Amino acid sequence: MSTDKKPLSAKARAVGERIGSLRDFLEFLEENGQCITWTDEIMPEPDVRNIAVAAGRDSMNGPAVIFNNIAGYPGKKLVLGVHGSFTNLALLLGHPKGTTIKELFYDIISRWGDDKPLLDFIEPDAAPVNENRLTDNFNLYDLLPLYRINEYDGGFYIGKANVVSRDPRDPDNFGKQNVGIYRIQVQAPGEFTLLSVPAHDMGRHIMAAEQDNVPLKIAVMLGNHPAMCMFAATPVGYDESEFAYASQMMGSPLRLTKSNNGMDILADSEMIIEAELMNGVRSFEGPFGEFPGSYSGVRKIPRFKVTAISHRNDPIFENIYIGRGWTEHDTLIGLNTSAPIYAQLTKDFPEVVAVNALYQHGLTGIISVKNRFAGFAKSVAMRALGTPHGTMYLKNLIMVDDDVDPFDLNEVMWALSTRTRAEDTIVIPNMPMIPIDPAAEIAGKGHRLIIDATSFMPPDKLGSDSKIVTPPAGPEIDEIAKVIQLLQNGGQL
Amino acid sequence: MSTCPRCQAAEEKIRAEHKGLNAQGELVWTIFHCNACEFTWRDSEPASTIDYNKREAFFRVDPEKPYPVIMPPAQYKK
Ligand SMILES: [Zn+2]
Repeated sequence: MSTDKKPLSAKARAVGERIGSLRDFLEFLEENGQCITWTDEIMPEPDVRNIAVAAGRDSMNGPAVIFNNIAGYPGKKLVLGVHGSFTNLALLLGHPKGTTIKELFYDIISRWGDDKPLLDFIEPDAAPVNENRLTDNFNLYDLLPLYRINEYDGGFYIGKANVVSRDPRDPDNFGKQNVGIYRIQVQAPGEFTLLSVPAHDMGRHIMAAEQDNVPLKIAVMLGNHPAMCMFAATPVGYDESEFAYASQMMGSPLRLTKSNNGMDILADSEMIIEAELMNGVRSFEGPFGEFPGSYSGVRKIPRFKVTAISHRNDPIFENIYIGRGWTEHDTLIGLNTSAPIYAQLTKDFPEVVAVNALYQHGLTGIISVKNRFAGFAKSVAMRALGTPHGTMYLKNLIMVDDDVDPFDLNEVMWALSTRTRAEDTIVIPNMPMIPIDPAAEIAGKGHRLIIDATSFMPPDKLGSDSKIVTPPAGPEIDEIAKVIQLLQNGGQL
Repeated sequence: MSTCPRCQAAEEKIRAEHKGLNAQGELVWTIFHCNACEFTWRDSEPASTIDYNKREAFFRVDPEKPYPVIMPPAQYKK
């Protein structure tokens, strides 16, 4: 994606330099009216869940919510919705409120890559995350204000941890060190289960450690730099570093240090839980309300034992509401899911304009493309299904023309209404599919749907009333729309 | 606390994990964990989560039943 690289704006650089941690970002969000504090006393259940869902309803402008008065957790702080709206992401990238999703998409593409990592290494003694260190008598139920995210979850989940592990067969390889978000269920005061599958980098590390009967040590990072969470949830290559991607996206250095068990970790995170795989042990885990909006069922999965905990003074527990969409999960990973599909498609098809894979991790995708010849969009759709993410996720694909913004559903619906012929709908049965699609008849298999909503060109036949009105469009109109919004919000020209 | 809200395991299978106190040191709630099905709950939760009869039957767990094992290791024993 390097061809699209542009230097960062002065504002983006200034924000990148200012934000070195979750705390910095919360302060910045608060200054911009995008972070509120819930000071009334609440119960862990069902109040946290209720407030998180209500705050998350506005996917464009919803705020992060800090809780500082949870019954039974005096003095403890919890924050949800840090990545819960596109405005919060816009602020992180140095844009003003009112930035469109499409503008964010192009900005992320221009920053994407790991060829220019900006990483500063500092001594563990100087790292804020090491202000406090525990080496025994761990009690996660006491250290973190834990709660049940959805009512039938099997227990209390840590849903937004960034977990660092190293390939036990190549432990000195920085690139093969993986940072990922894996759901963690607390199973005892000092033990937890962590869900990964063989296709994940972490799954590979677990299998290798058990086969070779060597220890697998991990570092669970909680309350992290906001760019880290976006890349920990993004599938990058097995030998690519998520730290490198996150730092390049911000255009300013991330501060790393070493955990006591040998992982590279963020020096400014709120808490690091060091842990070790209990080789050969599997425990009941789940159900858990997952991103398609359905519960994934009970399974027996690997279990870890806490070996040490470091944390800042008054640590903030950052968690996520996940369940039936729209949720923070969709905002957190949506653009970073769309960007690599766009990159892979434009290699072969420069006519692809934009990719919207925001919905449920790309279970529905919308691609805008300039038709090179009649039927061309269908060829692009087939290629999209063959991308690494598309192979397992792109279930429904809507193809629109280059004059349709795939992030503007009003425009997409217009294209569906006016440019779709039912015979341009393709169903490909019995394709591979992520196992947690609630519509699946057999977990792991599914049918793909392509709707070609692009316009026709010769040799397609056309009716007589096919001439489209050309309303004013483009950057000039976008600018006017922003001025109108500004005036409406009491601003001045 | 009598039995597990999810699998109805008997009291001896249940362990008290943690007591939540308020700033004055008074007990607010207690977290329990079932050793049979690994369910964790807080006694202050709504009945729809912690009352066996009010929970949706779909979410009951029978620890004796075989559940899928993720990445079964060579040395794995039930
Ligand atoms: Zn039970």
